[in-house]
Amino acid sequence: MYAWVWRHLPGPWPVRLLIYLAIILGIIAALFFWVFPWVEETFGINRVTVD
Amino acid sequence: MHRKARRGRRRAPKRSPVAVIAGVMGELLLTAGAIVLLFVVYTLWGTGLQTAAAQDDLREEFDLQIQSDDEDESEDESEEPGDLELGDAYGILRIPRFGEDWEWLVVEGVEDDDLRDGPGRYPDNAHAGELGNFAIAGHRSGHGEPFAPFPELHEGDIVEIETRTGIYQYELDSAPNGDPDGNRIEISDSWVVDPVPGEPSSTEPEEARLTLTTCWPRWGSSHRMYASGVLVSEEER
Repeated sequence: MYAWVWRHLPGPWPVRLLIYLAIILGIIAALFFWVFPWVEETFGINRVTVD
Repeated sequence: MHRKARRGRRRAPKRSPVAVIAGVMGELLLTAGAIVLLFVVYTLWGTGLQTAAAQDDLREEFDLQIQSDDEDESEDESEEPGDLELGDAYGILRIPRFGEDWEWLVVEGVEDDDLRDGPGRYPDNAHAGELGNFAIAGHRSGHGEPFAPFPELHEGDIVEIETRTGIYQYELDSAPNGDPDGNRIEISDSWVVDPVPGEPSSTEPEEARLTLTTCWPRWGSSHRMYASGVLVSEEER
């Protein structure tokens, strides 16, 4: 999977490495800003109120 | 040179389908593990960054409220904090038991979006200093964990809240008293935030009370924990 992505990136290896790191950082940012807050809210794993 | 270029273009050696599937599965499992670890980093640290920024904004907002209240003092004294919207700055909470410098800006509202920014006031409850039950909910894991040492609250502890209308001190008469499981209640035990706790919610209050709620256990939400007290001093602004 990861090797497959690596083989399909364009350019010489330093360019590929940069692109690869950018993709990974982008995915982590998406997790932190959208996915994790959504998980926290949807599954109610951190509720502090009585109702 | 020529040979090297050719080698770079050479295809990976053929693998059996079973080996390919096993390889992909392994990579997926590693990825899942990494995502779980990242989620832990998010709850422990990531959520606190947003909360810290929000607290700065709330403090500015609160200072501005006080300033503008001071400016139109020519008007009557009826500065009701009732015109606040969810997410607005409500006041400053101080609990000496949690440290001399422990100070958190309280927001109006107890929705997830409000509590992300700091401890929140139950919006349908009494205001600080009023007859009834002034109630605040706060996180004790993640989001800056304002109520992290919650079980350390003892009966007799003072909880102070400063709002646009004044400074109010409550003395706790029900608290976990150092027991990590003390004052544990069910999620549905909303009686703790009723105007008169333990009485039907329509009962007319004769006391000005304060109630704090948080989660139990600390790193979960299967139950809740609370502390409660009564107004002992007020200083109008």
